[in-house]
Amino acid sequence: MKKVLSSRNTGLILVLVILLILAKILTPGLFSTYMIINTLQNNAIYALLAVGEFVIILTGGIDISIASQLAFVGIITTKLSCDNPGVPGIVFFLLAIVLGALCGALNGFLVGYLHMVPMICTLGTMYIFRGLAFVVSGGEWWFAAKYVQSYRWWAIGKIAGIPMLIWWTVIIMIVIGLFLGYTAPGRRIYAIGTSRESSAVAGIKEPTVTFYAYIICGVLAGLAGMLNTANYAIGYYGMAEGFEMTAIAICVLGGTAITGGKGRMDGVAIGVIIMAVINSFISMIPGMSVWQKALQGAIIIVAVAINYFTERSAAKRALKERGALI
Amino acid sequence: MPGSNYDRDLTVKEGFVLSKFLVKWEMILVYILVFINVILAVFRHDLYFQSGTIQSIINAGLDVSPLVLGMVFILLLGDIDVSVAAQMILGGMVTGLMMDAGIPWIIAVICGILICMVCGAFNGFCVAFLKMPAVITTISTSMLYRGIVEIVLGENSLKNFPKWYNKIGWSNIGPIPLSMILFLIMGLIFCFILHRTTFGRKVYIVGNNPTCATYSGISVTRVKMEVFILMGFMAGIGSIFFIGRMGGGVSSSMGTGYEMTAIACAVLGGVSTNGGKGKMYGPIIATFIMAFLTYTLGLLGVDPNSKKIFTGVILIITILISTVNKQMIKDFKLRTRYHNNKNIEALNDRTAEQIKELKQQLKAGKGDAASVNAKIAALKKECAEKSAQLWEEQKADAQKAKERYAK
Repeated sequence: MKKVLSSRNTGLILVLVILLILAKILTPGLFSTYMIINTLQNNAIYALLAVGEFVIILTGGIDISIASQLAFVGIITTKLSCDNPGVPGIVFFLLAIVLGALCGALNGFLVGYLHMVPMICTLGTMYIFRGLAFVVSGGEWWFAAKYVQSYRWWAIGKIAGIPMLIWWTVIIMIVIGLFLGYTAPGRRIYAIGTSRESSAVAGIKEPTVTFYAYIICGVLAGLAGMLNTANYAIGYYGMAEGFEMTAIAICVLGGTAITGGKGRMDGVAIGVIIMAVINSFISMIPGMSVWQKALQGAIIIVAVAINYFTERSAAKRALKERGALI
Repeated sequence: MPGSNYDRDLTVKEGFVLSKFLVKWEMILVYILVFINVILAVFRHDLYFQSGTIQSIINAGLDVSPLVLGMVFILLLGDIDVSVAAQMILGGMVTGLMMDAGIPWIIAVICGILICMVCGAFNGFCVAFLKMPAVITTISTSMLYRGIVEIVLGENSLKNFPKWYNKIGWSNIGPIPLSMILFLIMGLIFCFILHRTTFGRKVYIVGNNPTCATYSGISVTRVKMEVFILMGFMAGIGSIFFIGRMGGGVSSSMGTGYEMTAIACAVLGGVSTNGGKGKMYGPIIATFIMAFLTYTLGLLGVDPNSKKIFTGVILIITILISTVNKQMIKDFKLRTRYHNNKNIEALNDRTAEQIKELKQQLKAGKGDAASVNAKIAALKKECAEKSAQLWEEQKADAQKAKERYAK
């Protein structure tokens, strides 16, 4: 019971419940099944990116190129599928994974093996991928009329009444969550985030682990790119600009330490839901849509501040307990 | 001399060595700048030698310059500030609103800068006092500040700004652009602050090792707070440059990505994002490089969006040049030539040192050439034999370990 109360997720769930009660009072329309599915579908892309970003942040790095990777991969799959309408959608789905992995491998190589600072490296690749997205698209825009149904099915097709996009997000969250929590490679990612020195002493090859972490992130960004274009049926080189910030914000909201090594997948999931509720809730109140950005920013600052206060008070308490033992 | 008035001279006297000066990072940046200019002059000589081209290049690239100067200080602390563009727009909005209300321009401009300083102070408060990570703080405050502009302005834009704003972005004094003169003056002041005052040295020590700074009696929180407020002030100045360049208008979606350009300029100038490393001269030259680079690519027929590829590639390559150092070459050798065996590496290093010593002796005139050369050859042979032996041993060990695990 004490463990449940002191867990950070309890606080997050409390915030979520308060938000939902407020939403129930102010905008009753939010609670229809249709609205819930719609809200989740609109935020699933953020969730995919946030999971990728989560893996990177756990290693102690940061990846601000994911939105550009999304645009780059999304543009390529869109262009190819619109040019070859006969090819089944699964080809593009797999292509997105491969391309994303390549994008991630570039970042991973630079950060892992050449020891570049993650922020600066991904700043550079952010420019590169965004530029490549433009070069590939040639400035063209793709709209709903050009999209093929077999391509779009991977995001909007429904199984048991729930869109594929949500299924993918849920599956990926569970798989990556289990991978990080219960397998040796996953624990290695936590280990290098917690302390590079001690993990090196323990025989973990830090460059290799970092490399694969960036590949995971790239795969998720690539997948998000394909699914994003399939979901909204719109593709242009400037899409998803600024999504990386939202993804980082979701991770931090979910209790991931930006210094690495701390954080859980369930926290990220709650972070996604809170972000989704804030977004849809605010946009449903008339005249409030301009407040969206400012409120998001304020909420993240407060969340991080609370995060740090609880952490510091916990550390102090632990110190006191240890003092009492002596 | 015990007991006498003996002052120890602690100054480090480093003579001017031309060969070292020529491969300094700042000089490499100058070469890059010259190289870009040569390319531009060769391929578009019709435009390059026309009067006004260089002035317009500099004018176009320098609207981000005040942000770069402030960003250097932030990066030297080991922090980062991605909210500068939002601060800049917020400051511009306040100035514009006050001008609309008919308040004299001087008060409006000062209030705009003050608002930016308040924004910087809020960032500094979160980072220095609440000990929040700078990345996440400034990401969320950039949302917050830009959100405030969105709330106040909505879809509208402000048009009413002092007349002299435009002059900063577009006019020349004689053959020299006004923005360049202002930038260089500011750059000189910042060089002085960073390299010649105690505050500058404090920034370096806080960036290098905050714990050490605390034990040396430096208030880390205070230094951080001051630097963030300084950044806010520079964002306020930046809003004047930016609005002047944009032809006197401000709306909520303007200036996105400026923070990244500023960071890129500072990093290109040799400032490490880990803090404590870098000088002021580099970023000043790097700002010009960015300006010339974007313009040159534009003149060579590359469209603005594919220019981003070049910017990214150049950023990554320049950073790689500075990170490829002795340690990395050593690691690479260890992995490829010495089969990941530290004993072989140590043996080879020792032999290399001995050979070097012998060669130096030969140079100094001790011993005759033939006997020394024979010694060197013997050493080399011995080293090669021993390395092979060690490598065999390692292989045998690996084989044994494999057999043991197989059981």
